[in-house]
Amino acid sequence: MHHDKRMTEMHHDKKFSVVNPSKMCQPMGAVQALLGLKNSMPLIHGSQGCSTYMRFQLTRHFREPIEVASTSMNEKTVIYGGEYNLMKALKNITEKQSPSIIAVASSCLTETIGDDMAGIIRKFEDANPDKELPVIVSISTPSYTESHVEGYNGTIKALVENLAAPTVPNGKVNIITGFLSPADVGEVKEILNDLNLEGIILTDTSENLDAPLSESALNLYDGGTTVEQLEDTANSLGTIALSKHVNSAGEFLEKKFGVKLVSGPLPLGLENTDSFIRSACKLADLEIPESMDRDRGRLMDAMVDAHSYNYHRKVAIFGDPDFVSSMTLFTSEMGMIPTVVCTGAKSKRFTEDIETISKEKGCSPVTLAGGDLYDMHKAIKKVGTDILIGNSYGASIADEENIPLFRAGFPIFDRLGAQRISTLGYRGGIDFVDRLTNTILDFYYDEAGYEIVEEELEETLIDHQKFAEEEI
Amino acid sequence: MEPKLEPIVETFKSREKHMCVKGEGLSIPVCDKASLPGTVTQRTCVYGGARIVLMPITDSIHLVHGPIGCAACTWDIRGSKSSREDLYKKGCSTDLGEKDIIFGGEKKLFETVIELRKLYNPGAIFVYATCVAGVIGDDIKAVCKKTEEVTGCRVIPVQSEGFQDHNKTKGHWIGCDALLDYVIGTREPEKTTPFDINVVGEFNVAGDFWGFKPLLEEVGVNIISTITGDSHVDEIAQAHRARLNIVQCQKSSNYLAKKMEKRYGIPSIKVNFFGLEQTVNSLREIADFFGDPEMIERTEKIIESGLAEVEHKTDEYRERLQGKTVALYVGGNKAWSLVRAFEELGMGVMMSGTKNGIREDYERIKEAVRDGTIIVDDANSTELARLLKKYRPNLLISGAKEKYIALKLGVPFCDFNHDRISAFAGFNGFVSFAKEVDASVSSPIFDLTSTSLRGD
Repeated sequence: MHHDKRMTEMHHDKKFSVVNPSKMCQPMGAVQALLGLKNSMPLIHGSQGCSTYMRFQLTRHFREPIEVASTSMNEKTVIYGGEYNLMKALKNITEKQSPSIIAVASSCLTETIGDDMAGIIRKFEDANPDKELPVIVSISTPSYTESHVEGYNGTIKALVENLAAPTVPNGKVNIITGFLSPADVGEVKEILNDLNLEGIILTDTSENLDAPLSESALNLYDGGTTVEQLEDTANSLGTIALSKHVNSAGEFLEKKFGVKLVSGPLPLGLENTDSFIRSACKLADLEIPESMDRDRGRLMDAMVDAHSYNYHRKVAIFGDPDFVSSMTLFTSEMGMIPTVVCTGAKSKRFTEDIETISKEKGCSPVTLAGGDLYDMHKAIKKVGTDILIGNSYGASIADEENIPLFRAGFPIFDRLGAQRISTLGYRGGIDFVDRLTNTILDFYYDEAGYEIVEEELEETLIDHQKFAEEEI
Repeated sequence: MEPKLEPIVETFKSREKHMCVKGEGLSIPVCDKASLPGTVTQRTCVYGGARIVLMPITDSIHLVHGPIGCAACTWDIRGSKSSREDLYKKGCSTDLGEKDIIFGGEKKLFETVIELRKLYNPGAIFVYATCVAGVIGDDIKAVCKKTEEVTGCRVIPVQSEGFQDHNKTKGHWIGCDALLDYVIGTREPEKTTPFDINVVGEFNVAGDFWGFKPLLEEVGVNIISTITGDSHVDEIAQAHRARLNIVQCQKSSNYLAKKMEKRYGIPSIKVNFFGLEQTVNSLREIADFFGDPEMIERTEKIIESGLAEVEHKTDEYRERLQGKTVALYVGGNKAWSLVRAFEELGMGVMMSGTKNGIREDYERIKEAVRDGTIIVDDANSTELARLLKKYRPNLLISGAKEKYIALKLGVPFCDFNHDRISAFAGFNGFVSFAKEVDASVSSPIFDLTSTSLRGD
């Protein structure tokens, strides 16, 4: 790999500790996936803190109530094993909430003590032969391996493995979204609609995580993917995993039921959206409708309108692997120069993707796979950037480097509208180009529209500092 | 046995007694029990409790020994402000992997501590044990001792395995124990005065401490340390020389004050700087404790000018807030310490509850609230939603997880927790408090939330 030398340079002073993580744990990925299931109750088999802190992060990002139950493990139940608590939890949820599906994700605690969740679930089902029970799915998400990205992947896989049942071909296409904003999931649905193609969205968070003001807090989620849809995935024309890192369910469906799989790319940017539309139409043997050319033309128009402001602006990007790689491509398409790209997941696919893009677009970003924000900041200090794209945790870095942070990804807790951030497809791309360019205009151009030259920028900064000091 | 015709809200049979009404029967709910498995509990883990107490120590690295999730979900969320370092805001983890789980994580912890010390040269490194660190049996104490010897930096073990207890209060105590066992009493102050105090259980959320610190300085006490808001570890190390501990968050820190009294003979008084009346009482009690006539006189003047400064500043808000009701559902302390402050705004507390209350907490709530107030323990999200829908308070005071439950139901909400943006303590803090409460309760948007397009 070309970037190894640079990577090791960046890591030379920090080998062991993670400082300011850019990844979360597997159960978080599970919850992210499960929030798109209709009438479901996600359950974390672990300590109370797992579900509570995840809910905290998710609720402040989406600004929606987030319901995740816990088996509330404590010292005694850890010593004797979690069977009692898990059985009790299943009973309580079944009796009081009557969901269609309970999805149980493990945690580092219950994985380490070796609870056999699938066995306990079977025991619960066997003990209640006369009751109408919800579908109960066991998902193994040991927090000490991989990251939330794999947790998401494993969750979709577990759902499909447990439920997919071949009956008759349905003419639909399965879409594994990965963790996207509800607006982006909505855009994917819109595109399918435009293509006249019916999709099964795995999973559909577009309604649950951007819900109207209503008494929804009193009930289980009433939008999202249904159990019937999960069962029907075996009968689809094919599966498109928008993110390569979440395609395991697709691999399973292909192997077991011959449902053809297309892995990636995330339809972010012009070329990636082209690929997505081509592969969707190819799967379903459809002509690309003319409305697509119109939307595509608009995105190109937006990119042309913006080009002079973006050209050769340096950009650093961090977040989930497929988001970062496709954003690297998109910003390159816009004429920007990706200088640092960072994902928390230790992913070979990610570095390969970045290499391909780098070759094609003639850039050579410092590539951090399995990096944290400390590593990224260090790299930024070294190679520089004009703008940072990533979640709210990038704010202090942007502040220190005096560059703007364009917020995208998860979590975003210091601005409104995270659930409505739109980047996918041609239409989302237009929105992104406009907002990104306006951010650049706000920061690097004066009120008359002239670019602020660097010395001026520094002077303004000094003026600000002086002013602040005088104020004190 | 108290005959109850109707439960306060519909819930599990075993949960009904976790809610009661002041003035009926005992007026103390069943509490300090494990949450029912399978409910959406609002509680967190023991690690969370310990971290919350210690994290505001600003010159320290807070290293979470466990898989990445425990640190990734909790770094930089405390809302505590610093006037000096921001080391405490970093999210540090040993990021334990599968190999570490199998072969033990001590070596990785050792290397990580050494590395962090090199990178940051902090006042101390606090090492928090998580669930897995406990289950695999890592000897955190031994690693801390060894790395402390190697580096010469304080390395402090916090035995906060998340699953230890159903109640994060235990985590508060564990956090306090870390300070008692490894920090307090390890350094002598350069000089002492007869008026040395510690401010215990003040975490400087949104800068609260700065709202009453100047008042204390004017009174003439000398603050050795705050435990732990805006503090340095070396300051807390000198805390044993204080003549008095004043305790603001009694829920998390009474334990520490009691232990310090036992160990060092330092008496403590409970203070409360939320609300004008409570601020006045607290200042007087501090002055009275020292009994210095000049100090007492000075304090009266401070009170007079403090009250004069804010006299008419809350009139506008109070006019709009008069007669409105508020529900408190908080970690502990605020369930009683805010009651009077709301009454000063003309509002009535109609419900008060905590997620982690123990019996003594509910005794205090019972004392603070009026007859007819609903008292709830460990309400899960469904119960909370039902309570809000049934009793419709004009305001809910709670934390981030509860915020959107309330707002979705059209119940105004005010964050009094980590995400709070204004300081509410002291005289001027009361004005900010009134302003913020008004901004939630009186917003016209809540008149619109009950309307519909079709006009029914």
